[in-house]
Amino acid sequence: MSTRVRLLITVLVAVLLAAVAVGYAALSRSGEPDEVASTTVTGPRLMVLTNGRVSTVSRSDPGGPREVGEQRCDRVYSAGGTTSCLRPVGAFKAGELAVLDAGLREVRTMPLTGFPNRTRVSDSGRMVAWTLFVDGHSYAANGFSTSTGILDTRTGTAVASLEEFTSTLDGAPATAADRNFWGVTFAADDNRFYATMSTGGHRYLMEGDFTARTLRSIADNVECPSLSPDGKRIAYKAAVNGDPRQGWRLSTLDLQSLEVRALAETRSVDDQPTWVDARTIAYGIQREDGVNDVWAVPADGSGSPVVLVPEAASPAPIG
Amino acid sequence: MSGRRAPLALLAIGVVTAATLTAIASSGHLPAAEAATTTFTPSADTHVDNSVPGTNYGTSGRLGVDGSPAKRLFLKFTVTGVTGTIGSAKLRVHTDDVSGATSPSGGTFRAMTDTTWSETGVTWNNQPAIDGATLGTLGSVARNAWYEVDVTAHVRANGTFSFGVTSTNTDGADYDSRETGATAPQLVITTGTTTTTTTPPAGGDPVLVGAGDISDSGSGDSATAALLDTIPGTVFTTGDNVYDSGTASEFASYYDPTWGRHKARTRPSPGNHDYNTSGATGYYNYFGTQAGPSGRGYYSYDLGNWHVVSLNSNISMSAGSAQEQWLRADLAASTKPCTAAYWHHPLFTSGANHAPSTATRPLFQALYDHNADLVLFGHNHQYERFAPQNPSGGLDTTRGIRTFVAGMGGASHYGFGTIRPNSEVRNSTAYGVLKLTLRSTSFDWRFVPVAGQTFTDSGTTACH
Repeated sequence: MSTRVRLLITVLVAVLLAAVAVGYAALSRSGEPDEVASTTVTGPRLMVLTNGRVSTVSRSDPGGPREVGEQRCDRVYSAGGTTSCLRPVGAFKAGELAVLDAGLREVRTMPLTGFPNRTRVSDSGRMVAWTLFVDGHSYAANGFSTSTGILDTRTGTAVASLEEFTSTLDGAPATAADRNFWGVTFAADDNRFYATMSTGGHRYLMEGDFTARTLRSIADNVECPSLSPDGKRIAYKAAVNGDPRQGWRLSTLDLQSLEVRALAETRSVDDQPTWVDARTIAYGIQREDGVNDVWAVPADGSGSPVVLVPEAASPAPIG
Repeated sequence: MSGRRAPLALLAIGVVTAATLTAIASSGHLPAAEAATTTFTPSADTHVDNSVPGTNYGTSGRLGVDGSPAKRLFLKFTVTGVTGTIGSAKLRVHTDDVSGATSPSGGTFRAMTDTTWSETGVTWNNQPAIDGATLGTLGSVARNAWYEVDVTAHVRANGTFSFGVTSTNTDGADYDSRETGATAPQLVITTGTTTTTTTPPAGGDPVLVGAGDISDSGSGDSATAALLDTIPGTVFTTGDNVYDSGTASEFASYYDPTWGRHKARTRPSPGNHDYNTSGATGYYNYFGTQAGPSGRGYYSYDLGNWHVVSLNSNISMSAGSAQEQWLRADLAASTKPCTAAYWHHPLFTSGANHAPSTATRPLFQALYDHNADLVLFGHNHQYERFAPQNPSGGLDTTRGIRTFVAGMGGASHYGFGTIRPNSEVRNSTAYGVLKLTLRSTSFDWRFVPVAGQTFTDSGTTACH
């Protein structure tokens, strides 16, 4: 190839790339939703998504002023100065995990395939987990698949799928091909974690050891666990009569006694709940037109549900 | 009623007819429905067992039929309030959701003259005679599925009707009795003219009606099929006609007794679940030429002033692919001023389960290049309407194509994720059908909800 031809190709490629960049920028602009009012919020806050945009509200006035940022995620969580953001599948790119720092600046991305579903960060901000639907089917349908992985942001160690770990069910090795994992929650030591493993029509609470690369079953019919701040209880969604097609009851499980307590929310909750403090569970409920609200209910089974943050999803307590 | 039936009958003369279809009123131009469907549940049902000849099973949830030990089942319906001529009567039974319910023979259904027997009194020893005409015989039956027998010959007017079911096969079948509620036996009576039409009466604009993500073992498909019983026109499907695997038996068990009532006027498109059977042979064999050239899955037809294209998003759609090249040639050859298309995987959706399928963009681009007006999708089990957009998803009020996700045909609903730009209306709770009235220079859309649901959505968009 002559130098001249090579140069011409280089120029053409550069022009093409520039055109793609301009086109992408134009498309991104065309995809902007309406601007929403944004107010600076300080103090103890809740991070939420406002139709896919990372936002914060004051914990003392969660229905009040809202700071709406530019970061776009289909699911978000934040703890210890680390924010995990599952980016939506875009017009010209697949989905990804974006790890953001305390200033919500992107510090790392990982390409991921599938539809964003759950994400969690350990309290220290070190460990990040995600769940995506792979075939895009819901929990309620038969035959869906999930992909759940964990990233250690300190060492860079990434486990693409918990299926790589050694799992046991009541002590016996679990190797069935139908295993699926979802909904990780981390313990305070940045090594132990809990997650749901589905196999043979059951959905088990598993306790994992990141270093040892093992998982063992703790209880049946526990989905999307969320560990309490004191590490003693799991908030989760329990399939009604063990059948996800009948919906899910928000419940807590005492890890010592394995006692189950149904919470006062009687509507079906399809979310990984969040402890906003030691006594309160927050979760999203979707209206029939697809708009979500973040609700809260006492963790001890008393009281009744109230709207915590209207028109928001994916709550996480911060600062 | 009779005063209105005459003009419809006159108008129907000379239009294309199809013997399996039931005719219905036009959309909008005739004020009242000419046909009506009424569903009755049994006033009594039970079975008897030769091995325990003195026992009554009247309150059991199960209706058994078997050759050895012999079991016979009895059904009694009281038909009241039906006005006009009975066009058809279909007896529907649902198999138990247990492995033992399956059978190579679902039994022979016969009419009975005795309508005085009591559900809690009948035993093998005192059973009434099964003495009437044979109405139909079911072949092999699967568990947890609906089956249908045409009993029009026996049910001709209001009254009480008994049916007896016997089997000579030693592997018996088990059906759900009236005590089970939602899966109780049904007698579905359709009244009105039996003249049929695939085109509307003169003066009416063509109707295109349908949905995607339709038939499984649940009841959503039965409810949406009942809507089709009262809406005339061409039926579209936006894929996933059956779950989970697209097999011939799923088409026979789930689709045929529901949406299959309208097969002769249906122009389907295939979904990924239809393709869970290799080559979607279950789909192509069931629909035959209604689905276009076998194995290809894309074809077109005209309705009034409209050109309508059914495409296949389960095969290559890339620019230059056979399908994309065919589409461009097909659109170029069309002389119709308005154009609609439909396929399974959505280019635009806010659903939380399936991301937008960017692989479909070359098809959308070809339609946009040829100034098409309307595109329908499925795949996410919900309803969503978008404003007219260009192929990149930008709002385009000049040449943009209005799109709908119409995945509310019967499969259990999905939720929504982040709501995408230009999404105008969404619903994730109501089953229903999307009814499109294809006018000469515009189209009207209407979400028609199933009985008991209230969500609706309607409007009009002009052709470009």
